[in-house]
Amino acid sequence: EVHVRQKVTEVDPLEEANFEEELKAVLQESLEQRRLELRGRPTINMMIPMSVFEGSTKDHHGRGLGGESGDEAVDEEGGARKEVQVKVLVKRGNKQQTKQMYIPRDSSLVQSTKQKEAAELEE
Amino acid sequence: EDTVDDDSYEYGKGDFMEHACRYCGVSNPACVVRCNVPSCRKWFCNSRGNTSGSHIVNHLVRAKHKEVCLHKDSPLGETILECYNCGCRNVFLLGFISAKTESVVVLLCREPCLSVNALKDMNWDLSQWCPLIDDRCFLQWLVKVPSEQEQLRARQISAQQINKIEELWKTNPDASLEDLEKPGVDDEPQPVALKYEDAYQYQNVFAPLIKLEADYDKMMKESQSKDNVTIRWDIGLNKKRIAYFIFPKEDNELRLVPGDELRLRYSGDAAHPAWQSVGHVIKLTAQEEVALELRASQGVPVDVNHGLSVDFVWKSTSFDRMQGAMKTFAVDETSVSGYIYHHLLGHEVELQMVRNTLPRRFGAPGLPELNASQVFAVKSVLQKPISLIQGPPGTGKTVTSAAIVYHMAKQGQGQVLVCAPSNVAVDQLAEKISATGLKVVRLCAKSREAVSSPVEHLTLHYQVRHLDTSEKSELHKLQQLKDEQGELSSSDEKKYKALKRATEREISQSADVICCTCVGAGDPRLANFRFRQVLIDESTQATEPECLIPLVLGAKQVVLVGDHCQLGPVIMCKKAARAGLAQSLFERLVLLGVKPIRLQVQYRMHPSLSEFPSNSFYEGTLQNGVTINERQSTGIDFPWPVPNRPMFFYVQMGQEEISASGTSYLNRTEAANVEKIVTTFLRSGVVPSQIGVITPYEGQRAYIVNYMARNGALRQQLYKEIEVASVDSFQGREKDYIILSCVRSNEHQGIGFLNDPRRLNVALTRARYGIVILGNPKVLSKQPLWNSLLTHYKEHECLVEGPLNNLKQSMVQFQKPKKIYN
Ligand SMILES: [Zn+2]
Ligand SMILES: [Zn+2]
Ligand SMILES: [Zn+2]
Repeated sequence: EVHVRQKVTEVDPLEEANFEEELKAVLQESLEQRRLELRGRPTINMMIPMSVFEGSTKDHHGRGLGGESGDEAVDEEGGARKEVQVKVLVKRGNKQQTKQMYIPRDSSLVQSTKQKEAAELEE
Repeated sequence: EDTVDDDSYEYGKGDFMEHACRYCGVSNPACVVRCNVPSCRKWFCNSRGNTSGSHIVNHLVRAKHKEVCLHKDSPLGETILECYNCGCRNVFLLGFISAKTESVVVLLCREPCLSVNALKDMNWDLSQWCPLIDDRCFLQWLVKVPSEQEQLRARQISAQQINKIEELWKTNPDASLEDLEKPGVDDEPQPVALKYEDAYQYQNVFAPLIKLEADYDKMMKESQSKDNVTIRWDIGLNKKRIAYFIFPKEDNELRLVPGDELRLRYSGDAAHPAWQSVGHVIKLTAQEEVALELRASQGVPVDVNHGLSVDFVWKSTSFDRMQGAMKTFAVDETSVSGYIYHHLLGHEVELQMVRNTLPRRFGAPGLPELNASQVFAVKSVLQKPISLIQGPPGTGKTVTSAAIVYHMAKQGQGQVLVCAPSNVAVDQLAEKISATGLKVVRLCAKSREAVSSPVEHLTLHYQVRHLDTSEKSELHKLQQLKDEQGELSSSDEKKYKALKRATEREISQSADVICCTCVGAGDPRLANFRFRQVLIDESTQATEPECLIPLVLGAKQVVLVGDHCQLGPVIMCKKAARAGLAQSLFERLVLLGVKPIRLQVQYRMHPSLSEFPSNSFYEGTLQNGVTINERQSTGIDFPWPVPNRPMFFYVQMGQEEISASGTSYLNRTEAANVEKIVTTFLRSGVVPSQIGVITPYEGQRAYIVNYMARNGALRQQLYKEIEVASVDSFQGREKDYIILSCVRSNEHQGIGFLNDPRRLNVALTRARYGIVILGNPKVLSKQPLWNSLLTHYKEHECLVEGPLNNLKQSMVQFQKPKKIYN
């Protein structure tokens, strides 16, 4: 609608470097803190609840994310969208819940599955 | 009280505020997350702005906070981000993994859950753990990055500011960015700029200036108490008690206007208890008598006439509304269109045309035929989102504005809002617009409802009273009861108010055009109205924040009418004026390169009178729409030195004096000669209402009024009817004959007020038929503009001295004008 002739915002490289440093420090500190906190290994409770499957009827054949299985949203022009639909599994207290989200097709989360798929097909 | 709902209204406090990014103000729920640290709980967005990390990541890193929660209206709903397996909430450790065979993802922490062997055997793909924070930004599919438009309209915060505010939050968690830039008490305020990064910076500059002006105004008005006032009591048609008294005004300081609130006090005596009541000024007579309508009629000591006190009751309403408008401008994206937002801040915006079908004729019914420059103005304004119209004196600004409003209203884009800083200008415009046949509502401040108006039939309060006066009307019955008794029982009052409010809404909504002052546009009664098209007349006499009040009600098309070559807004506080508060939005837009459309034909002045102003202030572009014949004073026998040139500069050598108050000037010789000129006019058949005496100094104004009343050669009443006023109060008006008394006459000091070319322009352009200027050429000629005015009069043989009945050309020598340094 409006076309503002934008000044190109240039990030100060010094600021960028400083910030990267600080971010790394926070990350490092977080990791070390965790290692100290947790002696024993946590128990695993990561089963995918059955209810997740109920929503998708077509997708029973061991295909991963963004396969040709119909989970892909198609935009108005009929071309493939840049996004694929996923279910995000979260816990509310002890209850499991899933929420639909769209993630970009070029996300590493999608890409990994695709590459694997392709690799498996080749084998 | 009726005014209560005015005061309880808080401006710019919508609920869109709470989850706005504390750095930049972006408030789109899909783009923000809340820091989940209990002592913090602030919201931040996922845009980088001008920094290397997104705002939320910046905050978490700088504050060493590590937990966040998503917004309830975001795709995942209100969710604290945590590891699906162990519940770890440290966002720096979290990332997504996907199931090997299903389109399911979960959050998992890097340490220890990602390295647990047991998981590898399950259906999860651990090889592609995807961190939540990537490239110093949250995953963009989880927390959206605000659109480019949203980012452009947000506050442009720098990394330095982020560091500073994070530092401040450590000691004061509620501090705002504005606190960072608050000047100390003795600091000079930050001056106004030409361009602003964003509306927050704009607010940071103007808010302190408005505060300074408000504080000054309050201090000054509250110090104006008068004791031992003599009162004359009366009762109004609405059964309310009215007190009449003289409230002498100090030099150039406080000017009472209708609608002002005053408190009347009596300290009591043996027969009367102490009493006080507030009321509104409803009238100011020519004799400077004030009529005050009291709010409560009970207990008024009507048999006491002496020894009462009057205080000024200061109201912050207009300043509050300016502050509110600036806040709305910053935080509410719908306040004005994107184009107008960026344009007002001085950003470079590609020109946009408004796509409207243009009318075949640009005039409007009920208005005079438009001239070529007026047609051009109407035509170009209708096609542009922002336009400036410059209307030099007498060029038909009001008619042009009315024609513009007529065509805007006919475009069917909803109601048009029409404002001006002064009530007089709003009334004039409302009248002209109504003449085109449009439905006009003139909204008055509640405190001015009792003030008589030339367009009473258009006012909202009048229309409410006369909408339905049948017997069935409940409102009408209650109104009658209220008028008879003065007040209503509390249950009736409640009913009355509800009915009145509903009727007000009904009438306002059915209007084509709403007219009110700029400050009036902030009236709570318009709070739910939206106006895409706004026209502001006299906009060069309003401060920027004042102009903003009508604009933030949804403006997409804005027309500012005014003349930056005439006087600007009056700023009482010198500090605020120095910082640039006196510069109008119109002027700033001119400086930014918006070219005003100039109306070029003047219909007021005798062509001899318009010549100098046209050449000196309008590059000689002012054409005359009146002929010499149309401005001939037939039958008036007045000693103009050059027939057909009804003007002269009357050389005065009398000394200036400091007035009794010590803050103003007077000049006795000039005053005596003003009386002689007035008397000559009156004797030759001119009536008092045709004459205006103007002078830049309040001391001289008061002295002339007194002098004429005591020494006038003719009937006293005639002199009383002559308006004697300051240049400033004559702006926007005209008289057939103008007598200008310049006052300043000294060897070494300057000429003060007269230095402002805009004031000279106003003074010279009020007269239709003739003008007489009294002043000391020796003093005035030092100033370049006055020097050229004097030269102009001399060249035309209109620089004269001697007695009125024997004027001779003056040979007085001018001084060399000082060079102007800019
Ligand atoms: Zn925090
Ligand atoms: Zn932000
Ligand atoms: Zn974990």
